[in-house]
Amino acid sequence: MAATLRDVTTYDLKLAAPLAAGFVLFFVTPLVILLALSFQTDPQGGHYGLSQYVNFLGDRFSLGVLGSTLWLGVKVTALTLLLGYPVAWLHQRSPGWARGVIMLFVLLPLLTSVVVRTFAWVVILGRQGIVNASLSWLGLIDTPLKLLYTEGGVVVALAQVQMPLMVLPIITALSRIDPNLADASSVLGAGHWRTFRKVILPLSLPGIVAGCLLTYAAAITAFITQSLIGGGQMLFMPMYIYQQASTLQNWPFAAAISIVFLVAVLVVVSIFNALGRLSRGYANA
Amino acid sequence: MLLTRRNLMQTALTLGAMHAFPGLTWAQARPLVFATFTGSWEEAHRAVLVPAFRKAAGDANIVLDPMLSVDQIAKVNAAKSNPPIDVMLHDPGPALQAIAQDLVEPYPVDKSAYYKDLIPAAQEAMGPAPFFQVVGLTYNPETIKTPPTSWADLWKPEYKGRVGITNMNSTLGTGFMVELAKMHGGSESNIDPAFKAIEALRPSLAAVAANPGQLATLFQQGQIDISPGNFNAIQILKARGVPVEFVAPKEGAIAFKTTIHIVKNSPNKELAFKLIEAALSPEVQATLMEEPYLIVPTNTKVAMKGEIAKALAKDHAEIAKNFVFQDWGKINEQRAAWIERFNREIRV
Repeated sequence: MAATLRDVTTYDLKLAAPLAAGFVLFFVTPLVILLALSFQTDPQGGHYGLSQYVNFLGDRFSLGVLGSTLWLGVKVTALTLLLGYPVAWLHQRSPGWARGVIMLFVLLPLLTSVVVRTFAWVVILGRQGIVNASLSWLGLIDTPLKLLYTEGGVVVALAQVQMPLMVLPIITALSRIDPNLADASSVLGAGHWRTFRKVILPLSLPGIVAGCLLTYAAAITAFITQSLIGGGQMLFMPMYIYQQASTLQNWPFAAAISIVFLVAVLVVVSIFNALGRLSRGYANA
Repeated sequence: MLLTRRNLMQTALTLGAMHAFPGLTWAQARPLVFATFTGSWEEAHRAVLVPAFRKAAGDANIVLDPMLSVDQIAKVNAAKSNPPIDVMLHDPGPALQAIAQDLVEPYPVDKSAYYKDLIPAAQEAMGPAPFFQVVGLTYNPETIKTPPTSWADLWKPEYKGRVGITNMNSTLGTGFMVELAKMHGGSESNIDPAFKAIEALRPSLAAVAANPGQLATLFQQGQIDISPGNFNAIQILKARGVPVEFVAPKEGAIAFKTTIHIVKNSPNKELAFKLIEAALSPEVQATLMEEPYLIVPTNTKVAMKGEIAKALAKDHAEIAKNFVFQDWGKINEQRAAWIERFNREIRV
């Protein structure tokens, strides 16, 4: 009798076929074409070889662009985590109505376009912007500070623009923690700080890792924010690729640096993933 | 017909497919696709050029697909035998690239009613120039009381930390650098003096914008007070109440021809020709010369009036005298290397 029962806990893989076909057609195929293009030795085509990669990897300027892009991602992710975790924590600790308000404020930026959010930062950071105006009103500065077109400006703007990507996974992770654990910890004599460090933080690690991963990937590829706040002389990978592909029509080199960028990002992502696996082990221990 | 699950799915899928690929339902006749530029260009073309074209072509369908010159080339290049664009609009550098890559048809000059009326500089057999863009000095009259008169004024010590430029990705950025090179003994094939001059300008630079559009934002934010700038872009800022003025430097304002081309293998060549004819016609050019567009006409039958006559040139003879045209054939040869060099050397 038991043998004739349908197993309702597993699903036929065929259900995923349309998505898989779309994925192959619109993602894998272009990626293969991109890879093939990156081996062309000159834009007119014809010869194939590794020269584009040699050009990139042998050039200190290009490597510098790659390095500064990856480093920018680290700085943005760290700042977002530092500012986002307390928000998620507050959300978890608030009464019901306040949770709704906090959630609204977290989600609000997602409801406006990135371009609009970035332009708001142009207004905030400009010479006559909010920051400079308040500082000079307080008498702290005589001449306006240069905030726009600096790396610090890019980091702050990106951190705000990508904040929901960090806060939402952490809220999810925090909400899954049994509140009794914190009570148990304090009954056993641990103070607030020790309870946070030894119980809450480790248990929320999967959320932190997921948030960092999303924020990092979004920050280093944020073409619009990087170029609007960073200006013309701060070159990051997305702008570099655009410049080579579009302005210079050098598709093979653009393809090669896209592949290099992709690989570099994959490396970083797998480091995050490894951390994520470790943290799950830690959380379950 | 029974309303079975299968039937419903089929209908839903068909409707979905028609929505996702509207080309399926067009069969063969597709509207004329005109790739204009974004922003004020699109506005001007939608308001003036499109109605004129539809009048001339019996209400034929037309779609504006605004994008940068270089993106137009990339799109046509990706589908040469069945191009998604019928009419391209180009700055001088990309125009020569498009011609070199065999993407455009020669313009049927014999059939054209207006071609012979264009000023000589606008008569290009591979695609005439219905418009000019003019680059001069732009400044904030509230902070700079005596208007600048020369490109050299950018180096004045009183503008320290107030000067904006754009990088060489744009036509404006490259054209400005070539002009600097010429001022200091260089030419379209020798840019070195310009890089030396920019090096000396470095203490004065407040910003290197990623594109000319950003210069507008920088003026609005008070981030810069003086920069090389596009006449039309400045008129739009002025109309919005930003304190900014344009002045043609005594060396001559830099003029870029904006050329318009029929794409090779276009299925709509006849309509494309009619659109370009409309763009060259005195009626359209006279309307585009007025507020708020202020686009410099190239048809000699159009008399210069208003702000253009006041700030740029009284008549077409003055265009030839006052405007500096650059040799983009020579510039294109080395432009990629210059852009690379600018990336590396100009860091503020």
